[in-house]
Amino acid sequence: MKRTIFLSLVCLTFSGFSNPIKGKVFGLENNQKIVLPGANVFWVGTSIGAIANENGEFKIQAEPSNKLLVVSFVGFTSDTIRWNGEEAVNVILNPNLSLDEIRVVQKNKGTYISKINPIYTQHINGAELHKAACCNLSESFVTNPSVDMSFNDAITGARQIKLLGLDGIYSQLQTENFPNLRGLATNYGLTYIPGPWLESIQVSKGAASVVNGYESISGQINANYKKPDALEAFNFNVFNSSEGKVELNSNFSVKLSEKISTALFVHGENFQHRIDHNMDGFLDEPLMKQIHLFNQWKYNSGKGFMVHAGIHYLNEDRVGGQTNFRKSMSRISSNPYGVNVANERMEGYVKTGFDINTNHSIAFITNFTHHNMDSYYGLNTYSGDEFTLYGNLVHTYSIDKANVHTLNSGLSLVIDQTDETLNQKSFHVNETIPGIFSEYTFKPSAKITLMTGLRADHHTNFGTFFTPRFHLRYSPTEHLNMRLSAGKGYRTPRILAENSFLLANYRSLKFNEDNILEEAWNYGISINQELQLAERPFSVSAEYFRTDFINQLIIDRESSASQIILSSLDGKSYANSYQLEVHYELLPRLDVVAAYRINDVKQTINHELVRKPLTSKYKGLLTLNYSDRLKKWMFDYTLQFNGGGRLPVIAGNQLNAPTEFPDFKIMNAQVTKYFRYWNIYLGAENLLDYTQDHPILGADRPFENGFDATRIWGPVMGRKFYAGIRITLNHQSK
Amino acid sequence: MICIGLTVFPNAIKAQKATSDLVTVCYKSSMNCHGCEETLTNYLKFEKGVKDLKVDLKSNTIKVVYKAGKNTPENIAKGIKKKGYEANPITEEEYKSLLGESSKK
Repeated sequence: MKRTIFLSLVCLTFSGFSNPIKGKVFGLENNQKIVLPGANVFWVGTSIGAIANENGEFKIQAEPSNKLLVVSFVGFTSDTIRWNGEEAVNVILNPNLSLDEIRVVQKNKGTYISKINPIYTQHINGAELHKAACCNLSESFVTNPSVDMSFNDAITGARQIKLLGLDGIYSQLQTENFPNLRGLATNYGLTYIPGPWLESIQVSKGAASVVNGYESISGQINANYKKPDALEAFNFNVFNSSEGKVELNSNFSVKLSEKISTALFVHGENFQHRIDHNMDGFLDEPLMKQIHLFNQWKYNSGKGFMVHAGIHYLNEDRVGGQTNFRKSMSRISSNPYGVNVANERMEGYVKTGFDINTNHSIAFITNFTHHNMDSYYGLNTYSGDEFTLYGNLVHTYSIDKANVHTLNSGLSLVIDQTDETLNQKSFHVNETIPGIFSEYTFKPSAKITLMTGLRADHHTNFGTFFTPRFHLRYSPTEHLNMRLSAGKGYRTPRILAENSFLLANYRSLKFNEDNILEEAWNYGISINQELQLAERPFSVSAEYFRTDFINQLIIDRESSASQIILSSLDGKSYANSYQLEVHYELLPRLDVVAAYRINDVKQTINHELVRKPLTSKYKGLLTLNYSDRLKKWMFDYTLQFNGGGRLPVIAGNQLNAPTEFPDFKIMNAQVTKYFRYWNIYLGAENLLDYTQDHPILGADRPFENGFDATRIWGPVMGRKFYAGIRITLNHQSK
Repeated sequence: MICIGLTVFPNAIKAQKATSDLVTVCYKSSMNCHGCEETLTNYLKFEKGVKDLKVDLKSNTIKVVYKAGKNTPENIAKGIKKKGYEANPITEEEYKSLLGESSKK
């Protein structure tokens, strides 16, 4: 303690001499406390402040008229605490960028890389959030080498994002750091998160922390919404595409008091133009309407107690199929083929955090969702009603002062009740899954972090299973990071909900088991080196991940001409992913990212180990970002190289040729012009106008054998121009 | 076009010497957080005629380069004050020595 005081006296430069208040700033990373050197502390509304020293300690002159201290640090949510005359205050900041085990890939270029973070984390500066038009989460990864976006079918517009070459279902999708958009929301969930609402996105590959459940297999994707207590007070965005799609996003926040703040988010989109560029008689893009409302509340006692809650309402309607189809038509095979998917969703969450003392803290997260879906695909009818409840209680115990040992333990509960009906046949899911977990972090020095976790869950249908996970980070130098990870993951797929898009095909779905427990191991190794080349930052990373399935739901579109068979894995199934990525500021303010990845994904389908159909063999990416000296202009260019792959072929069917799909390139470009309170952007997607030939097989006879809209590997929509405006107003700092 | 032309020079001071119709003004300020640095940068870059800008928290200095006739040192200072910070004019030499000092620390 003496040493602490001594240090704070020596190192502080900004403090005054009358009645100084001492304090220490910590940040919560990976649920453990770390000191934050360089954190800013100032009295609200004044310019009297201090900067924390290398031990996170600060000293600030007391202000008789001011009781509110604002504490901030890049990468963490700023906090305002009430000073009640204490001699010393400890402040713990929550990361506004959640941390992951392997790596964090920001939505846009990181401009700040934490030197103190045990995990490689790129922190971003606000102005950088505008690299792509990004209407929703599924479109936010165009400039990201690690994530692939693909369509499920050529009709509904359902998309998925793939990590490590594996289907989107194997990466755990989270919002605000809890699992979300599962079950019925699987196919459309990505389009439920509007890009302009987002503060940040984190993508982590490989085994994740056991704290968030047993589900992640290939990785985690987390989306964080803007917070009501952030600087931004008002944001308005309108987007218009050349095809006639209109999107509107807005959010505003109000600070009701020093402790309570609230924010309201609105999203609306409308697309009602029937477009058929490839003249196959089917709409290239479904007509759609979506409205999404979100209200967020935050309470911060300033004494270590925090509540953060939110409620969402979403309503969406999609119409696809033949251009002359209308929703009012009766569904008979003499009428045009049509697809309609209507979703209604309510969601609420509450997160609370409480610091008992400097060693113990408790966090509780709960989330409920109610999702209703009504859909039809030609003559197939599918509907579902889903209720889920999620709860997670985490206790963080910092065993020693220096944070060498930290223990995260807790309990979780998932309740899932789903009723589904497929063509008059009903299915019922009723699951209760209590779980218990513990995770130990050992950080003997800044060079090494070791994290190991275990969880046990009891599933209504599958009994008890264990999820072990392990992570090691070693940094021999400040700029070299090596990471190892290994872990197990499980999933109980919602067979119908996740594969409902397969109904847009002439074959019927056949599944022998209603319940499958998917099980896989994931191993990963990565190395990242940063250096200065010609006085500009250069970084290179190489990584390898392997996923080995013990059990998996296999979709067999090949062994039967009359059915699509969904069954358990019988044999081997694995995925190898090798990736090399280079970032360099080639010329001043010209950032270049070049990346290349090989996907080696194989499955046993019908007793034969084959390449997984509709999966690209490789992906290459080149992105250029240039801004002028004052960042009033920004230019972005992206070129994607997608490797070819195998098409699902039905034995003995003449539709078999070709059996492979070709390589293809996608090019995007955008220009943004900034003004003081607003900016305008103009861009183009798929500049080369590349589209898949015959995305729909048997398009001329949709009610007969041979019709298939699910053999999709490339873009259906051609070149698209768009323009938009964003208006941003910040809260007055005075 | 001038804007793009300027970017060719790695150093703004060189650019200023090359193009004589640019005015450089420097201030000592009272920032205390990274947020202030950002706020001021984002505010000042949209002031009339501003071609280059450096807001530095460490030395607490601000340097603004603007096109002659488009703005005045008083108006730039007014902008800084409007955001709640001090703007005490200093010479370029004082600025350079302050910047040099703080980068040594």
